[in-house]
Amino acid sequence: MTDITVRVNGAARTASAEARKTLADFLRDDLDLTGTHVGCEHGVCGACTVIVDGRPVRSCLMLAVQAAGHEVTTIEGLAPDGGLGPLQEAMRDSHSFQCGFCTPGFVMQATAFLSAHPDAGEREIREALSGNICRCTGYQSIIDGVLLAAQRAKAGPGGDQ
Amino acid sequence: MTQIAAERYTGASVKRSEDPRILAGAGRYIDDVKLPGMLHAAFVRSPLAHGRVLAVDASAARSLPGVVAVLTGTDLDAITVRGPDPLLAMMGAGASAPDYSLLATDAVRLVGDPVAVVVAESRYLAEDGCELVEVDYEDLPPVTSAVAALDPGSHPVFASLGSNVIGPRKRDEFGDVAGTFAAADRIAEFHIDVHRHQNVPMEGRGCVASYDPGSGVLTVHAATQSVHVTRMGIATCLGMEPGQVRVLAGDIGGSFGLKIGASREELAVAAASRALGRPVKWIEDRSENLTVSGQAREESFDVRAAVSDDGDLLGLDVSMVIDTGAYPVMGGMVPMIIEMMLPGPYKMAALGFESTAVTTNKASYIAYRGPWASETFVRERVLDLLARDLGLDPLEIRLRNVAPRTSPPAMMITGRPLTGVTTRESLERVAQIVDLPAFRRRQAQERARGRYLGIGLATFIEAAPGPRAPQGGGGLMGLESMRLRLSEDGILTLFTGQMPHGQSHQTTLAQIAADEFGVPFEQVRVVVGDSDVVPFGLTGGSRSATMTGGVTLHGARQLKAKVLDVAALLIEASARDLEITDGQVIVRGDPDSAIPVAEVARQAASGQLGVDPGLEVEASFDGGEGGWSGGSHCAIVEVDVETGIVTIERYVAAEDCGALINPAIVEGQIRGGIAQGIGAVLLERSAYDQDGNYQSATFMDYLLPTACEIPRIEIEHLETVPLDADVNFRGVGEGGMIVAPPTLVNAIEDALAPFGVRIYEQHLPPARILELIAKHAEGEGPAS
Repeated sequence: MTDITVRVNGAARTASAEARKTLADFLRDDLDLTGTHVGCEHGVCGACTVIVDGRPVRSCLMLAVQAAGHEVTTIEGLAPDGGLGPLQEAMRDSHSFQCGFCTPGFVMQATAFLSAHPDAGEREIREALSGNICRCTGYQSIIDGVLLAAQRAKAGPGGDQ
Repeated sequence: MTQIAAERYTGASVKRSEDPRILAGAGRYIDDVKLPGMLHAAFVRSPLAHGRVLAVDASAARSLPGVVAVLTGTDLDAITVRGPDPLLAMMGAGASAPDYSLLATDAVRLVGDPVAVVVAESRYLAEDGCELVEVDYEDLPPVTSAVAALDPGSHPVFASLGSNVIGPRKRDEFGDVAGTFAAADRIAEFHIDVHRHQNVPMEGRGCVASYDPGSGVLTVHAATQSVHVTRMGIATCLGMEPGQVRVLAGDIGGSFGLKIGASREELAVAAASRALGRPVKWIEDRSENLTVSGQAREESFDVRAAVSDDGDLLGLDVSMVIDTGAYPVMGGMVPMIIEMMLPGPYKMAALGFESTAVTTNKASYIAYRGPWASETFVRERVLDLLARDLGLDPLEIRLRNVAPRTSPPAMMITGRPLTGVTTRESLERVAQIVDLPAFRRRQAQERARGRYLGIGLATFIEAAPGPRAPQGGGGLMGLESMRLRLSEDGILTLFTGQMPHGQSHQTTLAQIAADEFGVPFEQVRVVVGDSDVVPFGLTGGSRSATMTGGVTLHGARQLKAKVLDVAALLIEASARDLEITDGQVIVRGDPDSAIPVAEVARQAASGQLGVDPGLEVEASFDGGEGGWSGGSHCAIVEVDVETGIVTIERYVAAEDCGALINPAIVEGQIRGGIAQGIGAVLLERSAYDQDGNYQSATFMDYLLPTACEIPRIEIEHLETVPLDADVNFRGVGEGGMIVAPPTLVNAIEDALAPFGVRIYEQHLPPARILELIAKHAEGEGPAS
């Protein structure tokens, strides 16, 4: 067991972790942040995506000890008051999801992508999200949600109302 | 008819009540359940497809620190009740029920067959323990195909059955089959295969079982489509009274037919919790999910079609073989529905049908979205094959054969009335949307330039719920129940046995109830997922729109009448003059008379009025007049004949699922089903090698469609033919998955028509497309 300190959603969290423990399991089991979902444990489905130092990361492929000293953002950290951030609101307005299991991964992947590519079009958004699997929706509603969020961000606060 | 308020929730794309928690990461899925003192289970699984278990040595695992217990098949056999799988009893429809233990004791019958369960302080330690369990096996010859299973000399998968043929080879005839075939201008014969593929919800199976030795109650947190069916399975297997088992469920991360009842692993975990007196959690990992959770669709069909030279499909004669895998649960039900649905919306006058179900050393055949979908695949494929032979356009042959909408209704030759079917309208509509003649011109031009475009049409109907039989009798889906209560805070609570896993019932049922009862949407609460609280029910078979939508409407009406009777005493008016609007009871035309429904509930509860203090009703609904769901889809594809890659240029669906409750939710169901159908054709296959080793156990091997493969899907809703006075919502959960595969395969064959390619299968990855082209090209270039 190793004591590690990770900045998670803006706060320093210290816990001890076995070397083999994945970041996903550490977040879920040790920090009770169960919004990060584990879908395949081999880095294909993207459900466990979190943001580490500003970049999207598969938390099933990263060990908790590798996150020591880094900044991790999970779905719980997007709107700290427990509400929804602008991307999440746009996804709600677009009926983006159904069962919701893949949702946190898509939200984190899209959050990281939009912050780097605020002007992205549909083609780029589809490619950016092609490492996340949703089995319910056929993706169109998810893409529409991301496009709506991008459009609203460009229009500014209240811009599309 | 219902009184319709000017502003209605029903029919509007109301934002989902589920979304604030789901989008915030605050959903509660099975792996999010944590109980004090909870242990973790992992399974020791067979590396062989077929073998005898000679010895299991768990001593090393038992002495590993952190391992609390190892229960072998023999240990579990001593504390559970052997018997036919409760689901087979429900869905087997006459297939032989094999005898087997909960976990393997004498034999293993597929790769991944559970042999022992290790229970430890963490999942990591439980998996460490699994590696220390030594199992001695003796190889038995694996039976890995239906053809092998049909050989009387094949080694029986279940010794107790003595044969690998478990389902009846029973022939039914509808109409004059011999006469129809004798009189036909031509008889065409085809062998059509549908490949094995599978559900793959993003959340696998799992459960947390917690036995309380004090009360003797076993509480099981489950990922299930029905808390009651799961409870029944657990109580039966553990030899407990159903009342001693409570099943709870929260958010479910998809299912598509997988999570019905209680699986062998879940039963073993429940038994382990009871044996240990501690909570035990098991969460299926993806490898387990792909290997052993269940697979679907592996079927083959020998089809004879009687046809006139003009393109009238006069009759079909079909012989079907279904590979139900090991531990069969759906043995006879799927062929039974396929037989019933094979005529579809067409006026064919004769059908001969026989089916054979076999067991093999592969994962169990389970329900997957539209389990009987192959009837549509076979029929719509055959129509295109016939059209090509006769030089007819696919639209033309369909319009020629669709039964007219008459009164009294035309009957399917298998006995159901085609009441209110809008197949003709949907076919004509999709052809119009894509401008079929213009496409044919473009197709010809592009072919001349070496680009191969194709168009595919297919149509389906689904008994969701199906029309009431003209001779009367109950609806086809039985009864749906609901309890509804108005509480003193004014909240209208619906208790439903539906167990949503993506269908958004907490939104849609609240829409209907809010409209019918007269309260704001936010004032309706939908309670699901507690077998002690909700009535019996199951989410599946596209039943909830009609059945649960209907019981919500009628139940809300019933409760409203009860509330108005009480309000009449308070307001001193006749209940007939009262209505509920926006959560207020008012005398019609006198807004000043308003009293909140909460006040009515408080007054009733006070006991001062001498009325039933509980404003609660139990309602049930039999489906009313019912009706068909259905629609036609059209795909335009381009096939790259150098790489075999298929690109979907356009996908259009014209759907009739009756009155829409929430259009955005309906369209999500349609698109999701289509995406699974596209995956089935272009990517997904549950592959085994000849020794029964599973070849698709990761997402690198079992390929799912991503945002780059699924195109924008255009959906148009047709005006429906209402059959019922109140309830014309119809199921829409399965249609996309039922009709997308033939739509896409028909388009691919059309694109490859210049090469003379004929397609008799469903799985068409690039390598297979290239094989088909090579096979038919015979060294020559395409005919122009």
